Amino acid sequence: MPQEQRSAQSSDLTQQETDQQDVTRQEGDFAEQASSLDSLLDDIESTLETNAEEYVSSFVQKGGE
Amino acid sequence: MPQLRDSRDTGAEHGHAGAEHAHDFARIFGVETEYGVAVTESDRPVDPGQVAMTMFRPVVSRSRSTNTYLVNGSRLYLDVGSHPEYATAEAVRPMDALAQDLAGERVMRRLALQAQESLHEGYGQRARIHLFKNNVDSAGHSFGCHENYLLRRQVPLSAIEHELVPFLVTRQLFTGAGRFTADPTVEDGFEISQRAEFLDDAVSSSTTRSRPMVNTRDEPHADSDLFRRLHVIVGDSNRSQTATWMKMAITHLVLCVIEEAWRKDAVSECASMTLADPSEAIRAVSRDRTGTAPVTLADGSTTNALAMQRRYHDIVSGFIDRHADAMAAILPDYEQAMALWSQALDAIESGDWRRLASWVDWAAKLQLIQAMRRRDPNLSDARIRQIDFDYHDIVNGTIFPRLERGGFIRTMVDEAHIEQAVEQPPADTRAALRGRFVREALRTDAHWSCDWTHVSLIGPVKLEAEMLDPFDPRPDDAYDAVLDTLRSL
Repeated sequence: MPQEQRSAQSSDLTQQETDQQDVTRQEGDFAEQASSLDSLLDDIESTLETNAEEYVSSFVQKGGE
Repeated sequence: MPQLRDSRDTGAEHGHAGAEHAHDFARIFGVETEYGVAVTESDRPVDPGQVAMTMFRPVVSRSRSTNTYLVNGSRLYLDVGSHPEYATAEAVRPMDALAQDLAGERVMRRLALQAQESLHEGYGQRARIHLFKNNVDSAGHSFGCHENYLLRRQVPLSAIEHELVPFLVTRQLFTGAGRFTADPTVEDGFEISQRAEFLDDAVSSSTTRSRPMVNTRDEPHADSDLFRRLHVIVGDSNRSQTATWMKMAITHLVLCVIEEAWRKDAVSECASMTLADPSEAIRAVSRDRTGTAPVTLADGSTTNALAMQRRYHDIVSGFIDRHADAMAAILPDYEQAMALWSQALDAIESGDWRRLASWVDWAAKLQLIQAMRRRDPNLSDARIRQIDFDYHDIVNGTIFPRLERGGFIRTMVDEAHIEQAVEQPPADTRAALRGRFVREALRTDAHWSCDWTHVSLIGPVKLEAEMLDPFDPRPDDAYDAVLDTLRSL
């Protein structure tokens, strides 16, 4: 049983890797993907809450482990 | 005459739970994540602690406890004033633990969104709950992402301190989640690790109330004659799936090397890297993204994080050569793990850390901020810190999902697998038994409880079963009796 599961998982990983290679995008340095980077930054800027100070100062809790 | 026990007695002869793994390299993996909570855009002040309690109401009410187990065998924990915590069900491979960790993000997110809905009435339609899978809040309070590894008992705590801790201190080169800080002593205001500033000793010291980097626990999570639980406290909470996987996969390989040596009652080659001062070293490494900040070893010599990680890589390569036949069983995809590890070290060594932005969290974050600064040289510190937190917000964060969707950050587990991990425990550990018990129990009005090693019916009938071997998903008679009783209710 475990053997079957392992090989099923490996082939899923291979499939994912193949899928990722199909995506026409180079890994790594964002700067190589200039236009998609610009649209990424546009998206991010438009969705962040406008009051950064308030956002940041709202996150205070006593420490954990 | 009572048997005198020494550390080499594996107890395998006595039929102890897990005995079949006393002499191999099989391991149980777990990740426990504490989440930070915040609320923004609320019409009036709200206490995040209260919000966390509200989040957990649907779960707490059905299990009558702040400590509750789910159908996938994992554990949710919330205490008053605490950070909501998710602990993954036992897994035998890092990939399964990763899927369970991601399932935890989904579960937490759903609970938070439900609570957010209920906030709207009293606090306005714009109120938003944020759950941060990170390690520091805006006031410098820290909380953890702890890894658990089953460790063979022959390995003494001193071996962990001398042979593993140097690895843990320097692995942040690829496991660090990065942190923008207002601390004026940090050059550029950026560190590669979230947790480095908050760890004190390598191992627990009874004389201080410090936070150690690692400790071991002799708990009955497995038969304590054979194993103990290694609890790694020093890790960052990662968003990158690959970073989470690598954190566990490479640490596992280093543990294999240490266990292999201690089976013969010897120190491993890793002992050559024992640190003079782990607490000083971890901070020095965290503040430097070149991997070349000087680090002093116990023998007085000086080295650096890059050289140490290279040495660990070489030592692990030797282990892989010695166990070529068994490697697929020891770590599936070990070749990918070793390749990514080299890639990380090569990139940092050549100054090309940006190539790691597709899987190393600190590199992704820093690259993003640098790109934003190029667009807007007046980018404020508050904005930068907001981006740092948003990256870790699993409920309302927009940056990380956008990076994944755009192919900037690679994934390892697809959505279908994550959904499956929300519903199903790993089938090859005792989590399978716990998950099935919880699923059956939730169908009834029974009063029940469980923990890592027991499933218990409390009412209307009292019946219990024990599960001491974390590797064993097979029910025994006692367990079957509990399930049969549940099904009859």
